[in-house]
Amino acid sequence: MPGLAKYALSLPNVVFAKDNQYTCSDAGLTEIKNAIAENKLNRVVVASCTPRTHEPLFRSTCKDAGLNPYLFHFVNIRDQCSWVHMQETERATEKAKALIRMGVARAVLLEPLEETEVEIYPCALVIGGGITGMTSAVSLANRGFEVKLIEKEDRLGGTLNSLHRLYPTHEEASKLVQVKMKEVERKPKIEVMTSSEVEEVEGFVGNYDVTVRQGEKERLFKAGVIIVATGADTLKPVGMYGYNGKTIVTQIELEQMLKEGTLNAHTIVMIQCVGSRDEKRAYCSKVCCLTALKNAMLIKEANPNAQVFVLYRDMVTQGTRYEDYYGNARETGITFIKYSPERQPAVENGSVRVYDELLGEELILPYDLVVLSTPTIAHPDSSDLAQKLKVPVDENGFFLEAHVKLRPVDFATDGIYVCGCAHWPANISESISQAYGAASRASIPLSVGHVKTEPLIAVVDEYECSGCGLCELTCPFKAIRIEETEKGRKAKVIAASCKGCGACGAGCPEKAIIMRHFTDEQLLAQVIALAEVKA
Amino acid sequence: MEEKPETVLVIGGGIAGIQAALDLGDMGIKVHLVEKKPAIGGRMAQLDKTFPTNDCSICILSPKLADCFRHPNITIHTLSEVKNVAGEIGNFSVELRKYARFVKENECVNCGECAAKCPVKVADEFDMELRKREAIYPYYLQGVPAVMTIDKENCLYLTRGVCRICEKFCTREAIDFEQKDTDTTLNVGAVIVAIGFDPFDPSGIPQYGYKRYRNVITSLEYERLICASGPTGGHLTRPSDKKAPETIAFIQCVGSRDLKNNRYCSSVCCMHATKEAMLAYEHDPKVTSYIFYMDLRAAGKGFQKYVARGEREYNMNYIRSRVAKITEDRNENLIVRYEETQSSKTRKMTVDLAVLATSLIPRRGVEKLAKVLGVELDEYNFFKTNPLSPLDTTRPGIFVCGCCREPTDIPESVAQASGAAGRAAETVMR
Amino acid sequence: MTLKESFEPDILGFLCNWCSYAGADLAGVSRFQYPPNLRIIRVMCSARVDPTIVLETFIRELDGVMVLGCHLGDCHYMTGNYYTEKRMKTTKNALKSAGLSPERLLVDWVSAAEGERFATLVKDFTERVRKLGPLGKETDLKPQQLRTRLVAAKETLAQERVRWLVGRERELVEDKNVFGEKIFQEEFDQLMLQTIEKEFVRRRILLSIGEDTLSVKEIAQRVEASSMEVLRNIVSLERDGLVSMAGIEGNSPKYRRIGG
Repeated sequence: MPGLAKYALSLPNVVFAKDNQYTCSDAGLTEIKNAIAENKLNRVVVASCTPRTHEPLFRSTCKDAGLNPYLFHFVNIRDQCSWVHMQETERATEKAKALIRMGVARAVLLEPLEETEVEIYPCALVIGGGITGMTSAVSLANRGFEVKLIEKEDRLGGTLNSLHRLYPTHEEASKLVQVKMKEVERKPKIEVMTSSEVEEVEGFVGNYDVTVRQGEKERLFKAGVIIVATGADTLKPVGMYGYNGKTIVTQIELEQMLKEGTLNAHTIVMIQCVGSRDEKRAYCSKVCCLTALKNAMLIKEANPNAQVFVLYRDMVTQGTRYEDYYGNARETGITFIKYSPERQPAVENGSVRVYDELLGEELILPYDLVVLSTPTIAHPDSSDLAQKLKVPVDENGFFLEAHVKLRPVDFATDGIYVCGCAHWPANISESISQAYGAASRASIPLSVGHVKTEPLIAVVDEYECSGCGLCELTCPFKAIRIEETEKGRKAKVIAASCKGCGACGAGCPEKAIIMRHFTDEQLLAQVIALAEVKA
Repeated sequence: MEEKPETVLVIGGGIAGIQAALDLGDMGIKVHLVEKKPAIGGRMAQLDKTFPTNDCSICILSPKLADCFRHPNITIHTLSEVKNVAGEIGNFSVELRKYARFVKENECVNCGECAAKCPVKVADEFDMELRKREAIYPYYLQGVPAVMTIDKENCLYLTRGVCRICEKFCTREAIDFEQKDTDTTLNVGAVIVAIGFDPFDPSGIPQYGYKRYRNVITSLEYERLICASGPTGGHLTRPSDKKAPETIAFIQCVGSRDLKNNRYCSSVCCMHATKEAMLAYEHDPKVTSYIFYMDLRAAGKGFQKYVARGEREYNMNYIRSRVAKITEDRNENLIVRYEETQSSKTRKMTVDLAVLATSLIPRRGVEKLAKVLGVELDEYNFFKTNPLSPLDTTRPGIFVCGCCREPTDIPESVAQASGAAGRAAETVMR
Repeated sequence: MTLKESFEPDILGFLCNWCSYAGADLAGVSRFQYPPNLRIIRVMCSARVDPTIVLETFIRELDGVMVLGCHLGDCHYMTGNYYTEKRMKTTKNALKSAGLSPERLLVDWVSAAEGERFATLVKDFTERVRKLGPLGKETDLKPQQLRTRLVAAKETLAQERVRWLVGRERELVEDKNVFGEKIFQEEFDQLMLQTIEKEFVRRRILLSIGEDTLSVKEIAQRVEASSMEVLRNIVSLERDGLVSMAGIEGNSPKYRRIGG
């Protein structure tokens, strides 16, 4: 745009200005570097395309020239000016001048900022010793990291210890547990603590102080990252369908019977979605359809003459393997009866009464055993652990990740990760994938060894701070917290976790928080500069 | 850590490949991210919104594209394909071919002057052929790298030796018709396959009338229509008369759960149809949607609630059924003939627009790639894995994630991608 | 060159880096045109926009302000835009107290894919502000009077009690406080409105006193309120240590400002 360099030179504090066609080209960047050196510039403003793509480039150019990269300001006169006012070149030029004026006003007030580093303690804490926790631990140990694997029960294995066989291959759950336990044992980097629970966790990414209780003993150690792999529980259908744990049982209880060989039933009726996909628990627990298919097939395998009925609402067998598995199940002679939630089956007088939606008829099925497929529910200890770690849970009690789509195994709080059924009902394949995923994410700060703290963060003026705690309430990253100091309760910023969004600063009742690089003064300077050249 | 970081090859620049590359790069491992198309982004860049949050897809994707591009440890190779993989875990030798773009990637600033002058018009692939583009074009607006590409099949100069008008108007001298395909060899310790999926072509089910009736479209075509940066600027209009549809039929399991085509379940279609119906209502509250489904699969986090919300608040009706045939009337409205599962009655319904939820199928050319990689495919041509080592292929050192492993949603693909990165890292950082 | 000069409003936009600013960039890349009245200041999150800076913008006689963030639920910083929403709601109330049309402040959500929508928003808002006229046209105040009111509004939004209440809205209405209490949105909105109005009057009184020492009647004249109302506020301001008696004229005590 013509005349802009001339205009810029007319502004206070501007000692050098140049029009360039392609400032982002190598030649353009060199010119900037030379200009900085020759004119002893201490601020640089580039007016061109968009900072969203090019700010890092110009910042590193300044850095190369020996100028602090945060003394650079970018003015967008292309995407937000010349490209959108193509029919009004005069007014567009005026606008560009106004934007440059605003930019210079801000640049004058910019401060040099330094990145700092926080050391990461080279140890991972994995809470939960089931298949998920063990997989994460082994993966991290293979990378050479120290791992502390904490398990509440007296042995590793988690939910798998209660299962008989696994779908879709029907291998024994106990075998898989043994294989995984051996892998864990073979890794000297993994310290296993069974019969142990996490008592307290203090600190932040890279520097967690963990207290673990093992019986009477308390152990303190440091961890750099934490992985939550605490699994989940299964709903006990107390009061539903006449559940009695003997002739009306859960799938897990059925697995025990199959394992011990105590199953003595000829006619088995399985009811799906017991206590799930209803008002209280509005979710689908994903694994119950396949569990029912598996157990039904195992029953038929052991006793081909057994009569097995599966009463379902929707058959959830997603993906390549499981649809085939469903096909196989149908071929073994299992009877599938579709029921609708408006007409629930009833268990009475030794029979199951169900309205078959597809036949359009009510059926009475006398049974030897009724098996209720109940949902995976959040572990009763989850909310407690969530509080200790200061991470959120969702409305169903499952741990809540940072972003449902793109950060499924991270928490919003840096340095803590989640995987497996602690996150959401998952089958073993998924739990293992997620375990590798969480281990991989956790290994990033561990590999780097330190966390760079972005300098564009909040800073508390303790003199002004009244300790009201509104900032702590506002911040979703737990990056600002109230602590006791000699001067009373004051807000303290955890630089490693602060993202610099400004939500705390713009709400602080005492205006005690300064947002670096986006200070009130810097923003106001732009407003004032604009007001000086109103249209 | 004191280990010497080695290098990993990631094949596929969609969300899974990008996530794997970023995780590896952040760990300090060097990554070669290879993408066949002119820009990274994959299928996720084609979506309007993503379930169950209804986040704008490209909005959550673009920061990752920018991160990948700027990452000191990631080298992106677009317009590139893997031609051969030799060696073994820890030490693979990969032959990579980069096809000529005919545009200098370091000079092009995406100003668009060339495309404005190009006389050729061809169907645009990214927009599912719903609009035309020039022979010199950006693969998509927010694509990374943000440079133009010349389509050598349709460029007048490259096919017939005439024109070159783009070169005349480029002020950066970024056009280079002399560019040749180049071959390089990379030495890597591990490979991650993340090539994603293709949509099933419903021309293979003639009773649904795809390509015969203009108002029968696929779900990806719908996504482009309803997307604000798509061919109609996000205005949902029927292909035949550009009218805004008031009734829409979403037909599920097209090319999946089907003995003739693919037996497997495509996993994500129940959810994306729900999303698409919600978006239609958001754009126009006069819209009523009908989802013709077999079994409703909404098992992921927040999915069941999402479906319930759709039914409750977005004028959506779920009809358990099997659609037998689609025909059209003289106004090109569609007549959907279906068997209502519950009543076993056959019914028909007239709608303005029909959207076929086409199954996710393996990419064209996957058999060749599998051979090059020396890995096995399963019976459906997805990369074969063991349920207990879900991210390992049949060849040690080669890992897999995302939809080329099995149809899966974005959260799972991302978790798998991070997992595959971890597995690859275990391999190279011994 | 037209004889009749139509009013060209000056509009300032605060756009968040991740969504709305990106949407504006996309409008550019796609060449969607819009009027050049808007100048944009980039912030990382719309939650960075302190209500007081919106008032500062109006104090300096710009005609319209846009605050654009990510769609609710999509905020790059998770919850930032929820705070933006609440804060800007209160800011509009403060503008109303000052006599301005709250329509001069536009709060909306634009995603990075909504280039065309951004352009349309700017077009529509520019027209809307154009119709409203130059700042203050909707009142019958002289510029200096308007300015005083706007300063009082700004100070209201800077006041700690007000900021404290604004910041607690999410928690009080959506979650529960530590006592397990929850209040309804309408109740809260009422409470907020009353708080703003009360504080606004206090600030106007303090501003009108300025450096002078005035009687209640004199203050009432300056702020155009009843003596009763002024007296009530003076009593509470005195209690809060913001004014003190500094002399008597006849039977009327006179007050001056003290403290900060």
